[in-house]
Amino acid sequence: MIAVRPAGEAPPVRPSLWVVLVLLALGAVRIGAIGVRFADAYPLATLVAVGLFALFAVPFWLFLAELDFLEREPVRLRIVAFAWGALVATTVSIPGSAALENVVAKLGSPTLAAGWGAALAGPAVEEIAKTLGIVAIVLIAGTQVNSVLDGVVYGALVGLGFQIVENIVFAVGAVALAGRGDDVRPVVATFLLRGFLSGVWSHTLFGALAGAGVGYFVVRHDRPRRLRLAVAALCAGGAWASHVLWNSPLFGDGLGNGAFALLAVLVLKGLPPLLLILWLVRRAHDREADYYTAHLAGLRDPDLVTDAELAALRSGSQRSAARWHAGHRAGRAAGSAVRRLQHAQARLAVDLSRGTPTAPRRAEILAERAVLRRLGHPEAVPGPRSWRRFASSAGSTVLAVAVVWAALTALGGA
Amino acid sequence: MGWVTRRQLMNLLGALTVTVVLAGLAFGLPAWDRSLPADRPVSAGAPYRITDGVTVVPPPGAVLDVTGTRPGDDQGSVLFRIGPVRYAIDVQPFDGTLAMAATRLRQRITGTPGYQVTGGQFAVATGTGLRGLQGGYTAPGRGGRYAAYRAGPLTIEVTISGAELDLGRTLPAIEASARTIRYVGAT
Repeated sequence: MIAVRPAGEAPPVRPSLWVVLVLLALGAVRIGAIGVRFADAYPLATLVAVGLFALFAVPFWLFLAELDFLEREPVRLRIVAFAWGALVATTVSIPGSAALENVVAKLGSPTLAAGWGAALAGPAVEEIAKTLGIVAIVLIAGTQVNSVLDGVVYGALVGLGFQIVENIVFAVGAVALAGRGDDVRPVVATFLLRGFLSGVWSHTLFGALAGAGVGYFVVRHDRPRRLRLAVAALCAGGAWASHVLWNSPLFGDGLGNGAFALLAVLVLKGLPPLLLILWLVRRAHDREADYYTAHLAGLRDPDLVTDAELAALRSGSQRSAARWHAGHRAGRAAGSAVRRLQHAQARLAVDLSRGTPTAPRRAEILAERAVLRRLGHPEAVPGPRSWRRFASSAGSTVLAVAVVWAALTALGGA
Repeated sequence: MGWVTRRQLMNLLGALTVTVVLAGLAFGLPAWDRSLPADRPVSAGAPYRITDGVTVVPPPGAVLDVTGTRPGDDQGSVLFRIGPVRYAIDVQPFDGTLAMAATRLRQRITGTPGYQVTGGQFAVATGTGLRGLQGGYTAPGRGGRYAAYRAGPLTIEVTISGAELDLGRTLPAIEASARTIRYVGAT
């Protein structure tokens, strides 16, 4: 069974690249014009909105980088995916969604459009526009999409770009609606609502699901074409359905008032798709990890990778724990050396899968191994469970819960 | 071997297909929207429900524009047209004073490039006892009136816009309609 195919070399320039670049340029002009208009009318609020939501993107970007650790996608392609969501998908969705909502009002009724317009129009237009971004990545660099996980990463990046720009537009729109001039309070309220409370189960998640489908279609050539198409359609449909559920008026006022009621609505609408998609992503990640670590295991050379390091390489949390353990036991230099060693081991696995020369990677690994031996920490493995690490994680979790609770109270529970 | 390989041609075809679908979303949907009529007749003299607690009697000769009409429970909007004149009413939750509601509406109007308020504001009231503040504004080739009312936990914003000649002809009927705005609280 082919869960992953060998990672491709840099692809030759394809005609689709130029088409995609033109589309990105057109999107940049359109979104840039909107940005200039915002900055002209509400300079401070626009600046704060851009700053807050740019910061909001950082943890998502880092999470995706860690998810994509073993066979990392080229930075240029990741930027293209993000830019597609931010510039092209948004440019298309703004007029398309508004028009479709009007059509719902015209063919149905204004009452139907008021209740279900956002659920019927937005997801239909936006999910198509975003999924086309993943298709565009396949067209310009199909050899780079060599696992379902790669589709997940590109889909999530398209969704992230879309989410950031959409949130900025909503935030500045809230400033205009408030009618208090260049006031940042509506921006902060939008950030709490659309960032903290709805940010996790939003476009990044929907894009990841659609991306998994495209990845499956591109990679699983061992399966009949009809089945691959069905899986891709099912994933795109799942992304659409998750989006419809989120935008729908269901439970709109059915659970009462207060922070608990708001939390219950968020959980009811957001948690099922989140859990489903995280399960799929975990499976895709594990399959990719199995594929690449199997190549490393075949080396049977503990100087290059030990059995315990192989086990750690398979999991993001274990990789992170190994770095933390090295830093805690042998200092910051050891933590950095473990990070570099893990990267070199991952690149060696990719080279082995491609059948390309591995000598430079082996030299890198041996150099880092020598550094670690000199620092008295020869093996990049997680240590025993540490109360400090546990306390650090627990503290971060408590802080995150407190921030979410404060946001819930401010927005719904007051 | 030719200049363009079959593989490159298929790749270009794929990219153009993506472009066509995007164009369908960006231009096709708006074209479909424009091809459908937006106007609906409204019953003359019968109150039109904007939210659960707010109604208005449309002016004679008005039609409902469904693209600007979104009735709701505690917030909603309605857009009527009398010929080329737009008559819109927005109802939203609001916890400030009447002066704050009017200032908010003025700032939204002047936030649109080219729009300026003209003169000051004066007090108005509906026939149902709602107190409000009214003013005027101009825009290139257009003029308009606005009014903000406070009703319970809501603000009711009225905007009327059109060419000055059309406004002069239709304003009396529209202002008479605005005086029929009724707030009976949420049901």
